[in-house]
Amino acid sequence: MLISAPDPLLDIAGLSTGYGKIGVLRGVDLKVGAGEVVALLGPNGAGKTTLLRAVSGLLPWSGRVHFGGRDLAGASPRDTVKAGISHVIEGHRVFTQLSVLNNLLLAVYDLPRRERVSRVEEALALFPEIAAKRHERAAALSGGQQQILAVAQGLVRRPRLLMLDEPSAGLSPVLVDRVLVVVQRLREGGTAVLLVEQLIEKALALADRVYALARGSIVLEAETGEADLPDRLEHAYLATSSR
Amino acid sequence: MDTQATQLRPSRPNVLGSVSTFSATLPFLALLLVGISLPLFGGGYWGVIATRACVYWVLVSGLNLVVGFGGQIAIGWVALLTLGAYTTSVLVAGTVTPALPPYLALAIAAVVGAIFGLIIGLPALRLRTFYFAITTLGFATIVTQVALAWQSVTGGGVGVAGPIFPEPFASQWGFYYFCFGFAAICTWMTANIAASRFGRALTAIRDAEVAAEASGISKSALLGTVFLFSGAVAAVAGGLFAALQSYITPDAFTLDLSILFFIAILIGGRGSILGPLLGTILLTVLPEFAAPLVAWSTFLYAVLLLVIVLAIPGGIAEILDFKNRRPLESDRAIIPRPELLEPLLGAPPDAGALTLDEVALSFGGVRAIDGLDLEIRPGQVHGLIGPNGSGKTTTLNVISGYYAPQRGAVRLNGAALPVFARHRRAHMRIARTFQTPRIVGSASVLQNVMIGGTIDGEGTFVESLLSLPRHRRDEATLRDTAMLALAAVGLERLAPVRADRLQHSELRFTEIARALMLRPAFLLLDEPAAGLSAEEIERLGALILAIARAGTGVLVVEHHPDLIFDICHHVTVLNLGKILAAGTPAGIRAHREVVNAYLGA
Amino acid sequence: MVESIVSTGLAIGCIYALIAITYNVMFSASRVFSFTAGTLGMLGGVLGSLFIARMGMPVAAGFLLALAGGAVLGIVTEIVAVRPVLKSLDQHLYVLSTLALALMIQQFTAIEWSTEPQPFPRLFDIARGGFDQQIWLPMLACAVVIVGLELLYRHTLIGHAILAIAEDNFAARALGLPERSLRVASFALAGVIGALAGFAGGEMLLAFFANAPMLTFYGFVPVALGGMGNNRGAVVAGLLLGLFQQTANFLVGGIFASVAVFTVFIIVLLVRPEGLAGVTFQRRV
Repeated sequence: MLISAPDPLLDIAGLSTGYGKIGVLRGVDLKVGAGEVVALLGPNGAGKTTLLRAVSGLLPWSGRVHFGGRDLAGASPRDTVKAGISHVIEGHRVFTQLSVLNNLLLAVYDLPRRERVSRVEEALALFPEIAAKRHERAAALSGGQQQILAVAQGLVRRPRLLMLDEPSAGLSPVLVDRVLVVVQRLREGGTAVLLVEQLIEKALALADRVYALARGSIVLEAETGEADLPDRLEHAYLATSSR
Repeated sequence: MDTQATQLRPSRPNVLGSVSTFSATLPFLALLLVGISLPLFGGGYWGVIATRACVYWVLVSGLNLVVGFGGQIAIGWVALLTLGAYTTSVLVAGTVTPALPPYLALAIAAVVGAIFGLIIGLPALRLRTFYFAITTLGFATIVTQVALAWQSVTGGGVGVAGPIFPEPFASQWGFYYFCFGFAAICTWMTANIAASRFGRALTAIRDAEVAAEASGISKSALLGTVFLFSGAVAAVAGGLFAALQSYITPDAFTLDLSILFFIAILIGGRGSILGPLLGTILLTVLPEFAAPLVAWSTFLYAVLLLVIVLAIPGGIAEILDFKNRRPLESDRAIIPRPELLEPLLGAPPDAGALTLDEVALSFGGVRAIDGLDLEIRPGQVHGLIGPNGSGKTTTLNVISGYYAPQRGAVRLNGAALPVFARHRRAHMRIARTFQTPRIVGSASVLQNVMIGGTIDGEGTFVESLLSLPRHRRDEATLRDTAMLALAAVGLERLAPVRADRLQHSELRFTEIARALMLRPAFLLLDEPAAGLSAEEIERLGALILAIARAGTGVLVVEHHPDLIFDICHHVTVLNLGKILAAGTPAGIRAHREVVNAYLGA
Repeated sequence: MVESIVSTGLAIGCIYALIAITYNVMFSASRVFSFTAGTLGMLGGVLGSLFIARMGMPVAAGFLLALAGGAVLGIVTEIVAVRPVLKSLDQHLYVLSTLALALMIQQFTAIEWSTEPQPFPRLFDIARGGFDQQIWLPMLACAVVIVGLELLYRHTLIGHAILAIAEDNFAARALGLPERSLRVASFALAGVIGALAGFAGGEMLLAFFANAPMLTFYGFVPVALGGMGNNRGAVVAGLLLGLFQQTANFLVGGIFASVAVFTVFIIVLLVRPEGLAGVTFQRRV
């Protein structure tokens, strides 16, 4: 009797996209299973951010993207958020003119009022450092705290898949660990995570599987347990295309 | 160089050959013929309409350079029509000064118009688009108000009589030929400018301002010149207008008229002479076909404008552009010919090195660059790499003059480069390309590359206006050099094609060809490999090496390690604004910290 | 005399301030300045006169319909003139499309309504004179709008969402905010504010199609001087403008007053292109 593996939560096949005339991704295949943490690594300019933007609907793309069995072709960011994907974009971009509380409330804008409030409280409980500043304007937070706020915005929706784009950028090591502890807890709770990270060691410590993206396509796919992974990664990043 | 350039002229007389130049002139010849023979088939009424169209075109032809080519939204140009009309009329009437002959009055009006054209236009250099549009509207209103109030001179609401030109121009048809003559001359002059380095430079300012600066084009000098010309020509139109009306009052110069001029250009299509000419004729003649249309004319113009903006931004010119509807080959490869670089670049420059000494720059509280030392030597390729946010592009922008270093200096041969003088860099033979190709989409690839050679031209604006020999020599030389540059980068087959039809990789190589027109001592390339396929990156690498061998010092900012390690003589690695490592590619590759920074640890 | 100058100046300054706020609300939602702001002011007066004086509707009904008309024009502006153009790379196009739309409406009004200024009805049956409704209606409108916007932006989630879209459009989209409908809502709101300005100022300005270009210019001056998107700066600048204009009117007469306003405007802009309170425009390379 054949026992087939369950369908992956996020199933990307042959994804191609770019900005205007500039093609960035060519035929990317990637899968994330429910409750899995998958790390997406690669040098700058490889297209990692572009990939996340395509999945969440911020960029048009061609190919196939299925989420929870549903076809995401033509989906807008609103649609993907409602389907259960939260995309925390790079650069700790929060709304500086609004309070921490309001930043979080906006993430659940379309939910009824009572639910909004309870979800926001949930998220704040995970991050006491910004809960203490809930009524302050986001402009008053440090860069690191703003990044925590951005991650919290992603979590408020209790997504099935959380996509984090370089959450460690600009964070002190202490805060980086804080974020990664939260990611660990999410995994335990059944949320899948697609993590784009520059800090390879930390990402590998957390993730179940890893993909490496270089020059617009996937050059490596592996389980994080494999022994020679660091060398294979270095080779994948820095190898020259010819010869 | 001559033999090689002639070898490159395509055998089919495509765009560059005489056949297509003739087909471009044909519509103008046809209009000329119709215009000259108008009295034969048109009655007196149509004569007036035609005269009016000619007068309007005189103004619009000059405004076309400002709006259509220069991209400045000058909506209130009727102010200059008013000025010209009143100046001519008052000088001829002799109420304020002794009565002057009409030709002299017209000439003086032209001078007054030039000065005021400059005054009204200059805010464009400081103000954003919408703000500038509003100020021109304000000027138009002010001029009309002054005409109303300054009764002693302008006659206030009562107005003044327009000038009467002596025979043979006093009769209706005589005056028509007078105006037609001006219209024809203006068409010729502005067409000459369009096909000159000034016209191309204007479109560069309009569509690719940073590229224009990098090519040495001074926005203020060029726009200033064009405002002078446009103002003068508009004032002459005013004098003719006053003669046509035979009596002028302030309410002849409505905002509606200003809108008509402006819309005629947009409907005709920016960057064209024929388009706005047809547009002016259309808008002048249209209301005459049905009486009710006259009242609704401005409404119709507005509808036309909206339709054009939303549906056919290129206007009539785009509709008539048959040449660019022909399909292009689909599998186009870019094959550079590095052997052509020597004739193109000439003898190696004897510039010293381009150095950055302890340069530091912060934005807000963030240190973008912190104590950076860099040396680019002629004949060598220097790579600058690092993760996002490491300061690579900022460094490039400091060298180009967009930012002033807060500490340290950028030096050429020991002498510090002037800060913020972006367009002077080209004169120092420092050329650059951009992260996203900055090109003039509606111009041909060849014209885009010729923009790179703008500062080599010797002819003045007036010489181009009148198509004098030095202008024609400039154009021929520029064209040959640009074709050579295109051949060197491997794009000569695409020379006549509209640039916005090209693929991304072709645009990147076009930018390089444009930069090579400066015969640069130093070439700064900003992520030239982004978006290129593997073979294209190889060919790019070979081209860059060849450019360096010809004597240019090249700085390549990249994060594609392939390109950097293959072609650079030296590599500097940045991280968080500081130098992480510097040395030969092999050394950098093995450097543990670099690998870590790239991979992140 | 001074009293009259001050009260008229402040009243008309309030109208200019409201048009400036109209510009700003549209700008915040789309980063685009629309030529229809002045036209909205004109329509507030014309529609008010049409519904109440010509068609005999009760004041309240005419008022609401005029505002509704403004909202409609605001939405049309967004759909026709802004949305298609935001996608294009050429940033100049929005200037032209909103200009075209504004012109169409002005011309239509001139032909179908009247080329001469028409009287605007007296809204409240109180005797003229003293602190007349001509004076306090614009002031009341301005105060209501300022307070209303403050409440909207600071205390409602939709207001916060609008601020978010204005500050960082991309991040707002990524968060799943309904960016398009919020923008349309902002333009509708701007339309209501513009129409309100024209309605409240109707008795002073009369129902006249040529109010459109006048308000386009005078309503923009506070925007330019107060800093783009800055409503508080716009109100202060609007009031100052109104006072300056009335004073100049009194001292040197109407025509030279407009020359004076324009000269000051242009000098300030040339010296400080970002306005007196605004932030410098950073260019990205």
